[in-house]
Amino acid sequence: MTLARPAGIRPPGLAPLARVARLDLTLLWRNRSALFTVAGLPLLFAAMLVPMKGKPIEGVDGALLQGTGHLAFFVVFAVFMNLVNGLTARREDLTLKRLRGTALSDSEILGGGVLTAAVMYAVQAGALLVLLGAALGGRFPADPLLLLAGLGGGVAVFALLAFAVSGLTPNSDMAALTVLPIMFACMGGAGVMFPLDALPAAAQEALRLLPLSPVVEIVRTAYFGQDFVAYGPHLGVGLLGGWEACARSFAVLAAWIVVGRLLAARWFRWEPRRA
Amino acid sequence: MQTSPPIQVTGLHQRYGGFEAVAGISFDVREGELYALLGTNGAGKTTTLETLEGHRPAHAGTVRVLGRDPHRDRRDVRPRIGIMLQEGGFFGDLTVAETVAHWRGFTPRPRDPDEVIGPAGLADRADVRVRQLSGGQKRRLDLALALLGRPEVLFLDEPTTGMDPEARRATWTIVRDVVDAGTTVLLTTHYLEEAERLADRLAIMHRGRIELAGTVREVVAGHGDRISFRLPERFQVAELPALGGVRAGIEVDGGRAVATYTVTGQGLQAGLYDLLRWADGRRVALDGLHARSASLEDVFLSTAEGADQ
Repeated sequence: MTLARPAGIRPPGLAPLARVARLDLTLLWRNRSALFTVAGLPLLFAAMLVPMKGKPIEGVDGALLQGTGHLAFFVVFAVFMNLVNGLTARREDLTLKRLRGTALSDSEILGGGVLTAAVMYAVQAGALLVLLGAALGGRFPADPLLLLAGLGGGVAVFALLAFAVSGLTPNSDMAALTVLPIMFACMGGAGVMFPLDALPAAAQEALRLLPLSPVVEIVRTAYFGQDFVAYGPHLGVGLLGGWEACARSFAVLAAWIVVGRLLAARWFRWEPRRA
Repeated sequence: MQTSPPIQVTGLHQRYGGFEAVAGISFDVREGELYALLGTNGAGKTTTLETLEGHRPAHAGTVRVLGRDPHRDRRDVRPRIGIMLQEGGFFGDLTVAETVAHWRGFTPRPRDPDEVIGPAGLADRADVRVRQLSGGQKRRLDLALALLGRPEVLFLDEPTTGMDPEARRATWTIVRDVVDAGTTVLLTTHYLEEAERLADRLAIMHRGRIELAGTVREVVAGHGDRISFRLPERFQVAELPALGGVRAGIEVDGGRAVATYTVTGQGLQAGLYDLLRWADGRRVALDGLHARSASLEDVFLSTAEGADQ
């Protein structure tokens, strides 16, 4: 006997997830403006790294410090903006509703979209790592597993935030505006565009609670093998020391996952509002 | 073993804010039957349909599809039903064939693409991007997708809107075949002819309520027969005879006054006899003389008017 339970609690099937992701990739390939957001913008940002090469900041090469920041920051393009745009457009043109009329479950429809975004992000991150290593004097990440955990955590947080923000976005034209607060806050506040050392300690501490900040801390710690969470000189960490150093960052990520989940459940909508 | 009807609606209410879109309706659709919800725009047809499709929970009352709650148990219900939305919801950048191919991936035990594309009349449009299809072609693609999973219950929301008469007839044939094969169908329409042609039973909805329900014959029964003719030039309405106690009403059609009697029961033959004798006695020719039983349209219009008053 099966008990009645809400749809979506059952875990999504892997094959349906892959089929939804395949549909998403096909559509992304045919939508040049969306393709630019996920492929063109990162290229632009990567080009900006070149002049930073050889200028040390915080005890490491400037291009690498900035580049590892981008590694984290690209999640905002590939996952957050991509999903807000895509989900809003699909809600308004009723394709979400139509997909929901198939045998696919809610978690498969949304999960397929997240999977596509995560793949795009992985491709960008991979390309950037190759660029850092090959052209900018970088190294192989000191702790690849920690790096992956940081990027994965970023995907989860920003996918949930995208569900919530798309629910507040009335149409796809407005999506260019509604993503800005989170985008700018993350850009400026996570220490990607400029170092935060000059700010008062209380302000620095507050900015570290932004959703992108822990991703940046984890990614840099994992890449350089140095503690980028604590203040002061970035001391080297041992084999598992990186995880210990990043415990606090993971806690912030976990808190954002809880908040994002609540906001998504509250704001996300499958259908346009009725006139 | 299926003993209860595939679709059951009991005391359904739906609200949007303060607006009551569905105000307490009940009906069943039996296995293998085509049931039509007929009504003007805003009557609550689509809201009823979407509740049955599981898009939203019932505000009050219960709905059951294949014995399940279609919203709460939608993972179990969805694979067994087919849905044709009222509008939109296609990816314009995909071709017809690609759309069907992707949808087959989302459907357990799907039909072959040729099994749905051909009958929908889209064989020569298979490689055309969906955004380039006409409105009627999009409706037919929609129907093709709804049939892909061999549904036990099929929901059609205004399936022939935007189609030319030929495409409409072709669509009726497809729907009829689906019903003949044992599928239970619930459709909404505001085309009276569509309901008359297809429906085993129907309900006329108005402002969120079911005003009348039954077979076409049952719904039309009791609404009288119509006798009409153009009012002769030299007569006033008041001079026309009463037929079985019924006086003539006047409608204007093409700039001419048309006298219409609505006679009930067995009054048609006797009424006609009285009318013809009257005309004979006065040597009047009754242009456009017409006698017929009430049509669904008559009932539909009088239902809407009666409910508004």
